[in-house]
Amino acid sequence: MKSWQDVGSVEDLERAGRLVARVGGREVGVVRDGRRVYAVRNRCPHHGAPLALGRIRVREAGRPGEYSTPGTRVLRCPWHGWEFDLATGACLDDSALRVAVYDAKVSDGRVLVAA
Amino acid sequence: MIDCDVHPQIGDPEELLAYVEPGQREWFRGQGASLGLPGYPWTHPVSWYRLDLERNGDGIPGSRADVVAREALDAGGADLGILNADDAVTLSLMASPYRAAALARAHNDWIAERWLDADTRFRGAIVCPAQDPQAAAAEIRRVAEDDRFVHVLLVGGAERPYGEPRYLPIFEAAAEAGLPVAIHSGGEGLGIAAPPGGAGAPTFYIEWHTVGSSASIVAHLVSLLCHGTFERFPDLRVLLMEGGIGWLPGILWRLDTNWRALRAEVPWLERKPSEVARDHVRFTTQPLEHTDGHDDVLFEMLAAVGAPDILCFASDYPHWDFDEPRWTLNRLPAEWRDAVLHDNAVALYGDRLGLVAA
Repeated sequence: MKSWQDVGSVEDLERAGRLVARVGGREVGVVRDGRRVYAVRNRCPHHGAPLALGRIRVREAGRPGEYSTPGTRVLRCPWHGWEFDLATGACLDDSALRVAVYDAKVSDGRVLVAA
Repeated sequence: MIDCDVHPQIGDPEELLAYVEPGQREWFRGQGASLGLPGYPWTHPVSWYRLDLERNGDGIPGSRADVVAREALDAGGADLGILNADDAVTLSLMASPYRAAALARAHNDWIAERWLDADTRFRGAIVCPAQDPQAAAAEIRRVAEDDRFVHVLLVGGAERPYGEPRYLPIFEAAAEAGLPVAIHSGGEGLGIAAPPGGAGAPTFYIEWHTVGSSASIVAHLVSLLCHGTFERFPDLRVLLMEGGIGWLPGILWRLDTNWRALRAEVPWLERKPSEVARDHVRFTTQPLEHTDGHDDVLFEMLAAVGAPDILCFASDYPHWDFDEPRWTLNRLPAEWRDAVLHDNAVALYGDRLGLVAA
């Protein structure tokens, strides 16, 4: 049975753009993408940047000279710009790297992260 | 052994002018020995050429097929030599694309008749007016029908780096003909070319020969990779010539690092640029940097980016800074020698080399 940890209010998340809390001894950042919330370990596996300060964006694709945005939403590290798939934590710019992701949800105005 | 970089010289300009279309011949004749090609701001401080070579009646070494066969092939034990235009390759830096196109046609026909017909061990390089890419593509298609021509030759000096879309017709024509595109250092800052190095015009020839000729090759390599040229033309191979190779690992590692952070600009690059380079780009050995006792470092770094498979032997006959084949051979790790001297060129050029005894 999954246990959920209350890391703050949706109001705080909206106001600050992110929440940071300790979950299971690790610093976890919570970010909001529209109505969805995502929780990732708040430490980039590249140089250790606080990932929750990164921006969520749509990753481009394309053929040479043409650009498209097929829809992969990523969290862009605030330091070097390496991008992480919000759903899996995979670093799309270095297949050797991955950041831990946690289940997260909103319930009764509170943000909950799977502990 | 295959020598990928032998430079035939134009001795008597009249010999070449006979191949220039009649309507333009007088203009070229009026330019004298320069043929209207853009000139360097220096005379060479030592000599453009080795001083031990036989000079024809015109005083220019390397200007007769039989002499070049003896001095460049027989002397070093080369089975084949690829003849790359020397100063004439800077025709793509002439202000007039019409003069450039005429000179390119003449040079290609001169190579075919005066050199390739003279010795079956020679192979040709197609010169083209890169400042007019459509005309360049037409010339590539015309000359490619002669299967003794084994690559398209571009010069390092250019208006923009060769990955730019304006140059696509050149790469398209080369890919269509199954020809590699060779980019040979030289011409940086001459004629309509951009200044070499990015920090303004160098003062001395020694600066130009150090920075200009390697920086242009770096710029073309990075440009071709970033524009996705090899994604457009999956069978295309590029041979980078005489720009040095010691810098290669650093540039590719830096590009890979930047690609991770800046890929949004070039989202078509789904593989690390260094991996694409390893599959599509080859380098000639000359001038193999002197390392003052650190050859092991040089070769270990090159191995990290694909050597020996990415290296092809070149001598640069008849220039002052040529690499004597045995000297190169002795420096290379023993297990690299066959690949660098022979096998990699065979893989690069395929059938156009003809049957070559190993």
